[in-house]
Amino acid sequence: MLQAIELTKHYASIPAVQDVTFELKGGQILGCLGPNGSGKSTTVKMLTGLLEPSRGRVLYRGEDIRRDLVGYRRRLGYVPEEPNLYPYLSGREYLEMVGILRGISQPQLGKRVDSLLALLSLYPSRHSAMASYSKGMRQRVLLIASLLDDPEVLILDEPLSGLDVSSALVLKTLIRALGQQGKAVFYCSHVLEVVERVCSHLLILRQGAVIASGSTDDIQKRVGHSSLEGTFHHLVEDVDPNKVTRDIIDVIRAA
Amino acid sequence: MTSGTRTLLAAKWDASIRRPFPLLVRLSMNRIFYGSNAGEEELNISMGVVLALLAVPGGFVSIFLFDKYGSFLQWLRGQTNFDPLAAALPDEYFFIVLSMAVTGGVAVWWWKSIFPDGRDFANLAPLPIATSSIFLANSVAILLLTCLCAIDVNAASSLLFPFAVGASQPRFSFIVQFAAVHGLVVVLASIFSFLAVFATAGLLMLLLPYSLFCRISLYIRTLIVTLLLATLSTSFAVPRMILDLPRSSHSPLRFLPSAWFLAFCQLLRGRADPAVAELGHLAIFALVSACVVALIAYTLSYRRCFVRLLELTDTPPGHLGVRTSWIFHLLDLLILHTPFQRAGYRFGLKTLFRNEAHAVVLGGFLGLGVVFASRTLFSAFNRSGLTPLPSADVLSIPLILSYCLLIGVRFVFDVPAHLQANWTFRFLLDKNIHESVALGRRIALCFVSPWIFLVAFPIYLHFWGWTVALLHIALVTIWFVLLTEVLLVGFRKLPFTCTYPPFQQSAVVSVIGYVLGYFAFTAATSELESEALLSPVRGEVFLVISLVVWYAIDRVRRSAVEVDQHLTFEGAPAAPFEFLHLTDGG
Repeated sequence: MLQAIELTKHYASIPAVQDVTFELKGGQILGCLGPNGSGKSTTVKMLTGLLEPSRGRVLYRGEDIRRDLVGYRRRLGYVPEEPNLYPYLSGREYLEMVGILRGISQPQLGKRVDSLLALLSLYPSRHSAMASYSKGMRQRVLLIASLLDDPEVLILDEPLSGLDVSSALVLKTLIRALGQQGKAVFYCSHVLEVVERVCSHLLILRQGAVIASGSTDDIQKRVGHSSLEGTFHHLVEDVDPNKVTRDIIDVIRAA
Repeated sequence: MTSGTRTLLAAKWDASIRRPFPLLVRLSMNRIFYGSNAGEEELNISMGVVLALLAVPGGFVSIFLFDKYGSFLQWLRGQTNFDPLAAALPDEYFFIVLSMAVTGGVAVWWWKSIFPDGRDFANLAPLPIATSSIFLANSVAILLLTCLCAIDVNAASSLLFPFAVGASQPRFSFIVQFAAVHGLVVVLASIFSFLAVFATAGLLMLLLPYSLFCRISLYIRTLIVTLLLATLSTSFAVPRMILDLPRSSHSPLRFLPSAWFLAFCQLLRGRADPAVAELGHLAIFALVSACVVALIAYTLSYRRCFVRLLELTDTPPGHLGVRTSWIFHLLDLLILHTPFQRAGYRFGLKTLFRNEAHAVVLGGFLGLGVVFASRTLFSAFNRSGLTPLPSADVLSIPLILSYCLLIGVRFVFDVPAHLQANWTFRFLLDKNIHESVALGRRIALCFVSPWIFLVAFPIYLHFWGWTVALLHIALVTIWFVLLTEVLLVGFRKLPFTCTYPPFQQSAVVSVIGYVLGYFAFTAATSELESEALLSPVRGEVFLVISLVVWYAIDRVRRSAVEVDQHLTFEGAPAAPFEFLHLTDGG
């Protein structure tokens, strides 16, 4: 359903992402992992069309997304890394605005927004300004906005950030259910346990390049670790956490 | 001074400002000056530029006054018995009002950041610093900024105005004495204005529930800005009223702080009779009161604001926009035809009414409109009273208000609101959409048309009958539509979602354009209309002008290349040149 072909992005000649290639099929949940600065967010922005690649293409159903960006985004739900929202709008006002821009008819929009607000426990505060929302509440607003128009592709960048336990549980179950319904989900996160539990496939980035890609089981078998944490550490981390811990304690004591 | 001494002094200064208390003071000053959203909002201008901008009005006005006081020009005018102190009274009052308006405006701008905010709390509360130190540092920062602002706003006028007034005087001591009194009075007036706004904020915060304070804060600030600007319009009447003070027992000047400071100035110059002296003493009493109230309110509300910050929320949990949602549905049926217009209109109006920076700036433009309109009205009725046909001045009132409102709306369209949140529009909007002008037109319509039809029309109808009212409102409407179209030429944004345009490059040209436009739109039109009411044939001129302007706008729009019509989220123009990297890869 979604293909990235040799995606490359340079910021003032500094490469942020280099030749990232992968395919996301319908029903797949692809977990994107990588340390800070590995190019995850840049990849996400190129997949959503918010950032133009320096080289390479993103194909949706075989067509370059740049040919019909608006049509592509109509089928795309996106939760960004940071819940940047207009603080003086209420949650309902924001969702109504998103729904209008997505071309959802008014009566249908009102019902859908209210139902989703109620299901994600935001209904009582739907008319309050989002400045008074916690980070988790704003994250839930973004989730509703991404699901509002029943998208075929979902791109989620750290969607569990700030969510309480029950909302996080709902979201994890929901992502799996959406995958079973044939939606393609690109899931970017630092939380290895969640990725291990939710994602069927993995894309691991390091310094802007893909270092592992494929089904979660295959990658783990290849690396020879039974846990994702072990696999990730084997592939990505070039520091010994035990040694760093000892060094930190030494520095604190010396001070 | 040797380089060794300089290095030593620099090292000492560096060490002293790196101590905890000076660091806290600097932190507070930065927060107050740049606001709580420094680095997030895009209206960040350096401290030097702001201080220079604040000093400009006083300097400009002083320069223009050299012409009035020059001895050669007085001689040419036949003014042989020239009393500079009497002649300077209206100008002195104008400088007092100007300094109060500018400093009060600055205090309103800093309203929210005067108290420590959530970011301060998050950063400072976990550190081993006594709350009293943070309180004291913030107090020192406020004090320093108040003095800095008061001195800066009045620096140019305190230097130039005395030289202008004393130009024809043989003794230099006259200039020195005049400068000392003028400088003292305007600086005290500035400090009073700053403290009065500060005390109002503190008192409201103290007396009202915090949620209610947050809720009404925006409206109070807009009201204060409007009042401060409206005070400027009193400069045409107060100097004369203060001379008449001994003869009037119930003068309204008792309620006008700027008049107290003019009286104080007269008192210091030894030109005050008992009534004026009494008013002058009121200035000192008011200054001390404002200082005491501000200090008490600040101290008491500090606990509410900072110590209990985690228990408070910035915004009230009240319901937003529930009662007005039917209006938007009605407008959807009548004038908002596409998703872009519907969503953009909702977003635009909510930003203008709810986002503080936008509401305050728009309130400022409205205040300017009120100042100009009241001045014009004042002079119109002073000159001729109510006439059978409205004079040009009377006809210009709705034009003045429409002009100021439209310029204000167009100006704030370019001021970004929470730019980091504009990803929603970047993500959802089609860049090939060509509806920015249609949206801007509808938002402008919403601000000006109700006032034209619901307020101006009934007033003209009541005083001058159907014919004059209908003709005048028709003309105002056509002019307003044409001005909207002119202002929106080349507009291809969703309001409030673009980076701030690099206004420094074109600020002077824009201001000159706005000033010339003001005279063309208000004074020239109303003069022409006044003549057309006497001789209807002249009305054809309006028809010709309208058609020419409309044709010109149409030509400009048609000549724009396709790419210049695409929706943009960048306020800055494209770079004048770029590197092509022709050698890359080869």
